[in-house]
Amino acid sequence: MSTLTSEALRPGGTGEPIIQLEAVEKWFGDFQALRGVDLVVGKQEVVVIAGPSGSGKSTLIRCINRLEKHDKGRIVVNGIELSDDIRNIQVVRREVGMVFQSFNLFPHLTVLDNITLAPKHVRRRSKSAARKSAMELLERVRIPEQANKYPGQLSGGQQQRAAIARALAMNPEVMLFDEPTSALDPEMIKEVLDAIEELADSGMTLIVVSHEMGFARAVADRMAFMADGEIVEVGTPDHFFENPQEERTKQFLSQIL
Amino acid sequence: MTDRVKDWSRKNLFSSAFNSVLTVVFGVLILYTLYRSLRFVFLDARWEIIDRNLTNILVFRFPRDELWRVWLALYLFSAALGFAAGAAARRAGTGSTSAALRRAGPVLVLVAVFLWFSGSFRAVLLTAGVAAVAIGFRALGRRLPLRTAWVVLAVGGGIVLAFAAIMAFDGVGFERWGGLMLTVFLAVAGIAISFPIGVLLALGRRSSLPGVRIVCVAYIELFRGVPLITVLFMGAFTLGFFLPPGTPTPSLETRALVALVVFTSAYVAEIVRGGLQAVPVGQVEAAQALGLSSLKTTRLIVLPQALRAVIPALVGQFISLFKDTSLVATIGLAELLNVSQIITGQPDFVAQGLVFETLIFAAFVYWVGSYSMSRESQRLERRLGVGER
Repeated sequence: MSTLTSEALRPGGTGEPIIQLEAVEKWFGDFQALRGVDLVVGKQEVVVIAGPSGSGKSTLIRCINRLEKHDKGRIVVNGIELSDDIRNIQVVRREVGMVFQSFNLFPHLTVLDNITLAPKHVRRRSKSAARKSAMELLERVRIPEQANKYPGQLSGGQQQRAAIARALAMNPEVMLFDEPTSALDPEMIKEVLDAIEELADSGMTLIVVSHEMGFARAVADRMAFMADGEIVEVGTPDHFFENPQEERTKQFLSQIL
Repeated sequence: MTDRVKDWSRKNLFSSAFNSVLTVVFGVLILYTLYRSLRFVFLDARWEIIDRNLTNILVFRFPRDELWRVWLALYLFSAALGFAAGAAARRAGTGSTSAALRRAGPVLVLVAVFLWFSGSFRAVLLTAGVAAVAIGFRALGRRLPLRTAWVVLAVGGGIVLAFAAIMAFDGVGFERWGGLMLTVFLAVAGIAISFPIGVLLALGRRSSLPGVRIVCVAYIELFRGVPLITVLFMGAFTLGFFLPPGTPTPSLETRALVALVVFTSAYVAEIVRGGLQAVPVGQVEAAQALGLSSLKTTRLIVLPQALRAVIPALVGQFISLFKDTSLVATIGLAELLNVSQIITGQPDFVAQGLVFETLIFAAFVYWVGSYSMSRESQRLERRLGVGER
């Protein structure tokens, strides 16, 4: 990890790296979305990524489970380097859960079926075992009474909690959150953030793209600030909010705080 | 009550001078048309042409001493379909028997008309038997907690047996089928075969493999660009050219079916493609993020949503196929419409203008089929609409 120059780039958590990005570049046609991103995330670490829209935050975490293919650099997740090998990608995806801004629950399946789908078809778990752990997860995100409803019958906050349960059902090592509260009405944001915070406390590795700075300060082990496809600044929440070094970080914070 | 009628008609029929004129003019037109139609149907029409030709209309050249095979097949069919309907109702947790009977209303009227014309007590008894079997197996299907695979196997087996009852053991091949029986067979088999082919073509058109994509696009665009009659003529007269030499040429009925399938599957493919495109990309991403393979993503996530979105268009295509089966008359097959024409040339009826009677009768049969399909599709939409976003 010779490219790690700054102290702040060292992984937190247990210190043992689970996700490593080295000089990752990504192009959409002529537009360069990622301009050489380096980031190492440690096991059980919670990293919150902030930054203005269009800065590449979503693209970055979508590269980690290969929803986007990076064009240059290396991405290693849980010891597996992402390449075109579809089997490797699927192994990685099994260990990396993702929660989307727009929930993306499957509207033709009940909440329970949404959650048991992947354990049954990817992990080959029995129907009864999958249902049992799905109900436990629904208890955990506090919507067990919604199990047999369809996503369209739930509120936004309930849908997002169901989506969290769906991702957790695969027992992933890492969870990625792509602006999980941006599509929610204000009164529902807290219930989703609480669910994420509880995950953070349970020792799960999390990477969260979020604009909720209060939440970020409370749960993050480290903050990463992105702008124009680069990670401009990385540091502990105290460092990031009290003593930002970079001009762009200061400007961003002055706009949103 | 009379006040409400007055109020309603003042508001809806006579709200202005112009509307009053319209109401009177169209009222007279409608009443006159209704009067002429009812008068024709119940007084003037010479229904003895239908009366005498009922068996011709139903099966045409099918050997009369083999008709028991058709009855046997009907029993097997109604058992299979009743069982399937029962299993589906159990799964959906809905569907009382009375509701099912109401939905079958138009078909029951049609059957009653057939029985009226047949004037045969034996036919009434046999038909009652078919209905009893259907209801019985529906009840069975609702009670037996079978897995989907077994239900499919049982229903498929029943249908195969029904065909065997007609065709196997020195039975009657396609080449001697006719009338309504041929129409229904062409429509049902056409739908059942062109649907899966169309879905595969639609998926192939979106495939990432260029070879598959090119073949599918070429197929779809070729057959959508040609009139159905052309495809039928090609099937009838030039299919032998494409088959390896020495292969026995399939019967004209088989060739007509192939032509209908080839044509319809291209349209089904385009309809399904529309549905596939309507599924948000986030659905695929969510499935991939869970580690589902692309095959399972398509089968479990994309296709169910895509097909649900295009039910109305699909059923429209199938209704159109049902009516388009009448075009096989142009290659000389005696299906329902062609029989309606042929019987007007019988010595007893020739040159008496009885084509009115036979065409109205045929139109009624087509309408019952199309209307029932349309109503079933609306029901399916409503039922699958649960939890729509």
